[in-house]
Amino acid sequence: MYNTTMATMINQSLRQLQNQMESVLRGKSDTIKMAIVTLLGGGHLLIEDIPGVGKTTLASVLAKSVECSFRRIQFTSDLLPTDIIGVTIYNQDRRDFEFRQGPLFSNIVLADEINRTNPKTQSALLEAMSEKKVSVERNTFVLPEPFMVIATQNPVEYQGTFPLPESQLDRFMMHITIGYPLPEYERQAILRPSSFEIMEDLAPVLSRQDIVRMQDEAGKIAVHDSLVEYLLQIIAATRNHPAVRLGASTRGAQFFLTAARAHAYYEGRDFIIPDDIKMLAPFLLGHRIILKTRRVIAEADLIIRDIVERLPVPL
Amino acid sequence: MPILYKILTALLALTGCASLAITGEVSPIMSLSAVALVPGYYRFFKGEKHAPTAVIGILAILELFIFLFDAVTVSGDVFIAVAHLTIAFQALKSFDLKEPWDHLQVYFVSLLQLIIASELTTSLAFGIVFVVFMVMLVTAMVFSHFLKEGHIDKALVSRPVYVISVLTLCMTTVFFIALPRLTHRFIGKSHTRGIRTSGFSEQMEFGDLGSIKLDPTVILRVEMDAGASGPLYWRGRTLEVFDGIRWKNELGAKNRIQKTGDEFLLGSYNRGQVVEQQIDLEPLDSDVIFGLSMIRSIKTDAYFLTVDTAGNLAQPGKVSRRSRYTVYSDISKEEEGTPQPIYLQVPFGIERISELARDITRPYQTSKRTSNKNDARSDDQSGDQSDEQKAQAIAEYLRSNYAYTLTVSPAPKGISPLEDFLFRSKRGYCEHYSSAMVLMLRSVGIPARIVTGFLGGDRNAYGGYLIVRQRDAHSWVEALINGKWKRYDPTPSVAPAPVESYSLFWDSVKTQWARYVVGFRSSDQRAIFVHLTRQFITGFGLFRPDDLSVNGSYTVRYSVLLVIVALILLLTMLFIAWQKRQRKRSGARPWAITASYLKVRKALKRSGLSMTPSTTSAGIMEQAGHFSFNILLSDYLSDYNRIRFGKKSVDEAFLNQEHELIREIGRKQKKDAGK
Repeated sequence: MYNTTMATMINQSLRQLQNQMESVLRGKSDTIKMAIVTLLGGGHLLIEDIPGVGKTTLASVLAKSVECSFRRIQFTSDLLPTDIIGVTIYNQDRRDFEFRQGPLFSNIVLADEINRTNPKTQSALLEAMSEKKVSVERNTFVLPEPFMVIATQNPVEYQGTFPLPESQLDRFMMHITIGYPLPEYERQAILRPSSFEIMEDLAPVLSRQDIVRMQDEAGKIAVHDSLVEYLLQIIAATRNHPAVRLGASTRGAQFFLTAARAHAYYEGRDFIIPDDIKMLAPFLLGHRIILKTRRVIAEADLIIRDIVERLPVPL
Repeated sequence: MPILYKILTALLALTGCASLAITGEVSPIMSLSAVALVPGYYRFFKGEKHAPTAVIGILAILELFIFLFDAVTVSGDVFIAVAHLTIAFQALKSFDLKEPWDHLQVYFVSLLQLIIASELTTSLAFGIVFVVFMVMLVTAMVFSHFLKEGHIDKALVSRPVYVISVLTLCMTTVFFIALPRLTHRFIGKSHTRGIRTSGFSEQMEFGDLGSIKLDPTVILRVEMDAGASGPLYWRGRTLEVFDGIRWKNELGAKNRIQKTGDEFLLGSYNRGQVVEQQIDLEPLDSDVIFGLSMIRSIKTDAYFLTVDTAGNLAQPGKVSRRSRYTVYSDISKEEEGTPQPIYLQVPFGIERISELARDITRPYQTSKRTSNKNDARSDDQSGDQSDEQKAQAIAEYLRSNYAYTLTVSPAPKGISPLEDFLFRSKRGYCEHYSSAMVLMLRSVGIPARIVTGFLGGDRNAYGGYLIVRQRDAHSWVEALINGKWKRYDPTPSVAPAPVESYSLFWDSVKTQWARYVVGFRSSDQRAIFVHLTRQFITGFGLFRPDDLSVNGSYTVRYSVLLVIVALILLLTMLFIAWQKRQRKRSGARPWAITASYLKVRKALKRSGLSMTPSTTSAGIMEQAGHFSFNILLSDYLSDYNRIRFGKKSVDEAFLNQEHELIREIGRKQKKDAGK
């Protein structure tokens, strides 16, 4: 099933994907990697950052580079669940009600500024995220495969926002921040043609089937017992940390392992090493823990980093 | 730090102190500091901060002063004082465990405690403590080694502990058998105190034997043929002079017995007539050699033995030492003797006793003989018959008219214990009976003396040997009749208390321990080697087996022991070989790969990289990315990860990689140092 040539092949196509994305979003290789790992792990991604650093660009370029349908939903306070899921309308010709699919029925959905909409719409989206299907009245509609939601939220603006409850944050596999680019990249970014213009010329690197297959293969990566132990130790440590009010959940641990597999797969390995787990920990757990002081994910990241620096890795 | 490691340290400290405690030589008051171990390790387990350095320092100085004081006054013995000091040190250290080094100190002091304890005791309990200690120490050392590397994995530790423990035990056994024995202790004076016995020293007082009549301490263990019939009188020492209060041995002159071969010959004997007794004598506070009378020959490792005119045997310098010897006694014979004034000595003021003696013996009075006690030298033969009758009459009189008791109330003032026994209370124990009889015999002109020793013993079915205890201590009478010393026992026989079988079983275990471990001697070694040589030679058909006769009856047992040791060694070797093959076959070497990785980590740490328990291979590459050998390192790390967490197996190439890498790191380190 998995041999060296194949590994090289996969590695090459993933490398190509990474390079293509980097050509648009310069100097953000780690962020891009995390986005790809999330895609390989079949999870959803939460990007938390200030406006104008390329949140939307990241989502768009990912969608562009894989042969997938892509929709963008700008969340506003008056957005209704039907606006994203779809509506049932009366078809006069067929004299019957008919479901018209909303923008959610895409492979990659960019949920822009998710914390600006009302909780009702938020929960409609998040339900679809975890179930990967939508129930409307008595019918169930399966969402397309792969299905990935990339949600962005703005940590600074509080006016008129509805912060996501913890249970809903938990449904995102990873959260990332983008941050300001380094000066040299920022200079390039303003001098070059805009990223949207570059994106116009991009051709998909991976097909929809490629993604599904890779997700499937990544799920079969071997995990050594000692690493499961290590991962659970990290999870346990988040629950016992003095600054943490609520630690990571079991679902968090599940996502963690899945992400670790995806990361190993991305690195071209058929087994997980401690680095996969250690490196991913902040991205996986930062949004899952509640601090005793404030609810800032960036601060939680530091605590997770502190935890993994204290825990001995399996040798 | 894993809790198991903490527990091990605490257990080792406790075992060390316990080993001293079981010797019974340390003073409880001076060892009170051991109590502090409890709060000390409790705090340690709780992870509380160690005590401030200043406090520890002051206490340490205080300890030193207490030690000096102890050595000079309380114990008066530096050796014991050091034992007390180690206990205090352990207690203090339990509050001050911060570095791995502190743990090693605890191990070291525990080991010291065991060494001290080994000098103070030879009990079986110590043997058990030693084995437990050794396994724990090995575990702790392996743990500390892995801890130093920053990681502990149970699976990783258990195997080395297992292998090292077994190997150490085997090595210990081999060394034990092979090392030359020291006849003398090598640390100063002997600290093993002998069992306090009464009545076997130069003198005996009333109550000496009575007071130990309930003491089950084992004195002798005897292996002998069941051939000897009748009660077994283990003759110890004779006492001749009575001053009204105590008996004394005043024969003075002791002669050395000539050693011929390995045998001290006291007189000619016929091998078929004598009773052979192999005797294990516990350490006593006396140098007496016990045996059935009359002893013709003794085989022992001792360099010389002495004998006095009454046939009392002693091994000078044996006090407080365990000894083992074989006695050949001709029990049908009686010692010949000549009457001497000392055997007729009586103290002043025993007229009442003399009167009684004359009354008892009047029916056997011959016309020729009078009760003139100065007439002892008379060679009149016709009196002999009556002498024997007289002696029997006295013994019979005592046996039937007096009650045996263990609780004798002290005699009223002004009355000697003996008169009190004979005329007032009429109750007493063996010393009363035998003293009364000797004095009465002497009153009627028959030379007599007291003999102290043991009577009887319990046969232990588990070991097929006889146990003689402190409570079997006895005294009886020897009277010189017809030129021969005849034995009389005027004490009424008392039914012995039954002994539980489990205690007999335990005693047989202790006997084996005493015989084969504590009492293992050069002669035993010789026997093993001679036996081995013989086996070797006969194995090649060079000699017939009876060309070489082995001196020593333990050869068979030792060859069994040897076979067991050889089997253990063989099994260990087979086990190791099997494991190696298993590993080769399955390709799984869980600890070899980790060991290699730890080695590389250690080398990198030495060359200046920061290496914490949470450092991963990526963390290493981050720091070492600019090294000249970074590609080699990166290859090594990815191989390590593949083997450790993936499905690859350790191969030659990987190990070569490791060697090369270590070399490169060393080179870099040298270069850095040069700069």
